[in-house]
Amino acid sequence: MDSLHAIGFYASSGVSLAGALGATLLPGRDLRGASLGVLGIGLAGIYLTLSAGLAALVVLICYLGCAAMFASPQYRPLEAVVGGMWRQAGAIAAAVLLALLVYSAFRGDFVHATFFGGTIGAANLGRVFFAHDALAIEAVALIVFAALSGAGAAWYARERGR
Amino acid sequence: MTVGLVATFFVGGGLIAAGCFAAVWRRDLTAALASIPLMFGGAGVAFAGVARFAAAGGPQLFGQEFAVVLAIAATALVALGLGIAGRVAPR
Repeated sequence: MDSLHAIGFYASSGVSLAGALGATLLPGRDLRGASLGVLGIGLAGIYLTLSAGLAALVVLICYLGCAAMFASPQYRPLEAVVGGMWRQAGAIAAAVLLALLVYSAFRGDFVHATFFGGTIGAANLGRVFFAHDALAIEAVALIVFAALSGAGAAWYARERGR
Repeated sequence: MTVGLVATFFVGGGLIAAGCFAAVWRRDLTAALASIPLMFGGAGVAFAGVARFAAAGGPQLFGQEFAVVLAIAATALVALGLGIAGRVAPR
């Protein structure tokens, strides 16, 4: 990987981590939605520098959709009933998880292989999607369809119940 | 300056940990749903990194395929969660 791609990777990583921290910490729906959009742009940049152009396009569309849903004023907030002590314990557990992941990535011994694909790789990826793993992709598509149908049904059922 | 598998794992780990933190720290459960795209995005970065730097045998693009599936699944799960939460009552 040349220096230009490396600079792009690190810049996109910074953008995506900034978006992640914004989505985690910022108050307000619009700010959270904007942070998720920033995260999607950063992730798309990371995928592009990793020679996954088609994945970058899909991720950008999906995360901008997520950002639009989170920024919407239409959904109802739900208060959690978990106490502050459990939340603090969970935050410490998240920090421990980060330390474990960083340690395992730093100390791990990984295989190095040469990448032969192109920057976009749509044809090769399509071959994997629709030939090699067609049944698995159909199953995932069915699950996604069921989730979206359930979301729509729940959204309108609650509205009608009022 | 170069990029390797360890750098992609660092970024993926950071995103996963940020997602875990959002899931446990947010009082508003619908706001905590933001943890799903964060964690799935972190896992997707790790998979794409493996596909780019360390996929020696088998279909080399499996990591990219899984990253695409994770992004679509994250969007569907967010839609399902917000749909279950329901609308704000009309005034």
